[in-house]
Amino acid sequence: MKQWLVLFQKELLEMARNYKLIWLPLVFILLSMIDPLTTYYMPQILEMSGGLPEGAVFEMPLPSAPEVLMMTVSQLNLLGVLIIVLASMGTIAAERKSGLAGMILVKPIPYSSYVTAKWAGLSVVGLVSVFLGYLAGWYYVTLLFEPISFATFLQSYLLFALWFVFIFTLTIFFNTVVKVPGLVAFATLATVIVLSVLTNTFEKWMMWSPAQLTGNVGSLLIEGRTLEDLWLTVMVTLILVVLLMISAVNILRNKELAE
Amino acid sequence: MPFFQVEQLTKKFGETTVVDRVSFSLEEGRCVALLGPNGAGKTTTLKMLTQLLNPTSGTIQMDGYEQNADLRTQIGYLPQYPIFHNWMSGKEFLEYVGKLTHLTPTEAKVRACELLEMMGLADAANRRIGKYSGGMKQRLGIAQAIIHRPKLLLLDEPVSALDPFGRREVLELIRELKKDTTILFSTHVLNDAEEVSDDIIIINQGEIKVAERLHTLQEQHQQPMISLQTKAPIHPLIKGWEDWDGVTEIIYEEYAAKVVVTEMEAIKKKMLADIVAKDIPLIAFEVQKSSLEDLFMKVVRG
Repeated sequence: MKQWLVLFQKELLEMARNYKLIWLPLVFILLSMIDPLTTYYMPQILEMSGGLPEGAVFEMPLPSAPEVLMMTVSQLNLLGVLIIVLASMGTIAAERKSGLAGMILVKPIPYSSYVTAKWAGLSVVGLVSVFLGYLAGWYYVTLLFEPISFATFLQSYLLFALWFVFIFTLTIFFNTVVKVPGLVAFATLATVIVLSVLTNTFEKWMMWSPAQLTGNVGSLLIEGRTLEDLWLTVMVTLILVVLLMISAVNILRNKELAE
Repeated sequence: MPFFQVEQLTKKFGETTVVDRVSFSLEEGRCVALLGPNGAGKTTTLKMLTQLLNPTSGTIQMDGYEQNADLRTQIGYLPQYPIFHNWMSGKEFLEYVGKLTHLTPTEAKVRACELLEMMGLADAANRRIGKYSGGMKQRLGIAQAIIHRPKLLLLDEPVSALDPFGRREVLELIRELKKDTTILFSTHVLNDAEEVSDDIIIINQGEIKVAERLHTLQEQHQQPMISLQTKAPIHPLIKGWEDWDGVTEIIYEEYAAKVVVTEMEAIKKKMLADIVAKDIPLIAFEVQKSSLEDLFMKVVRG
């Protein structure tokens, strides 16, 4: 446990030294602010950029607060995921490639500690970033549109966070499978995209899919309730996270760390 | 008494056998050189001992442990190209590694300071490792390998990448370290092996060719030798010497030659007389012993 903490602290220290601890949350906050602000100020923005032709009547219905917050969610789900996967694509892969992993793993540390400390480091930073970003989105929606209760915000955040944890786990998993960071990012994003597309297309058969978590976020925000099979989705996601972590440790253990 | 034994260690990558049924044992407190040309299987052997590579077959055993047990607490390892977290300072890295090897934070701190001092890195302790020179990194690499006082220290080509000055420093360090721990280091340079090791294992094409105490090898394979240097090309000047009784072999270079002899005194007198008689333009005349180079060459060439 002590060793695990040492490894975990090192992850946080590294992210502080390379400023990930600062820019990741900032980027997430920016991403989340864009939609509420641009939606609210759209008429003024059009005005400023030359306005509409004389006589044109243009009715712009103001979207509802939950709809705007949903825009923020999809923004984070798209660009947010992309950024965080790119930022963490080398966390193990690059260390393996450079030989650092070999340098560290000749020390008497369990492989599981090495992998889970990486996972925990990524999860902590990622979840804090998502939280701060989502909070900023919620704040502007509440300020500019109608208030959304903080309870709803928190509940939807928890579902959203679980989806992100699943993505982080995928990233760590692929980090142990291949040692080219670009390939890690590609494999992770491809998996996420394929899963999301399949889930949206065959919704009836894919109620268990972790990608259904974002569907639940939308449903919670707009209709005020989660989808029917939420517990199935949550259980399957948790089981997948555990399985992916176990295989990641085993894969790394059987990899030849030195070439 | 051997305390570390390797039996029939084999490593195959696909079809190629890189290390082929290697067996040897190490005695406590000795410094052993694993000598061989590039690609002989030295690094692969060391990596199997550190458990970074899984042997295809064979066993590794340390006294008091089961066969193929996890020996990482007892082994310190310096890879051929040590890599560090470049954003850490030397001191931070040593403390980090120390804590990973089960030292308490205070112990790690004390040990890190002690090692930085010993390695001559005290001034650079708080500098980022990214700014260290090659020699400093090598010394930091040795420091991180011995931080937990391992029983066996494995060094992979510890001096090959260094300039003559750095090489000297590291060889001195090895000489210092062998007082406390058993060392197995790989090298492709015979001189380095001769300089600090007690035992020599010569490996080529994945197989052990020679494993012997250094002084035994020297007794068996070293012969008295006279080396000469001349102003003019040497071969025509001393051509007849091969036929003398007591001369085993002459190794020619353009302006120099090494004459391996059996009876030093007699041959030396005869040679000097001949040099004066023929007025050979001599620059240097030195009585030496042949190095183990011949043996090494013979083994490597097969």
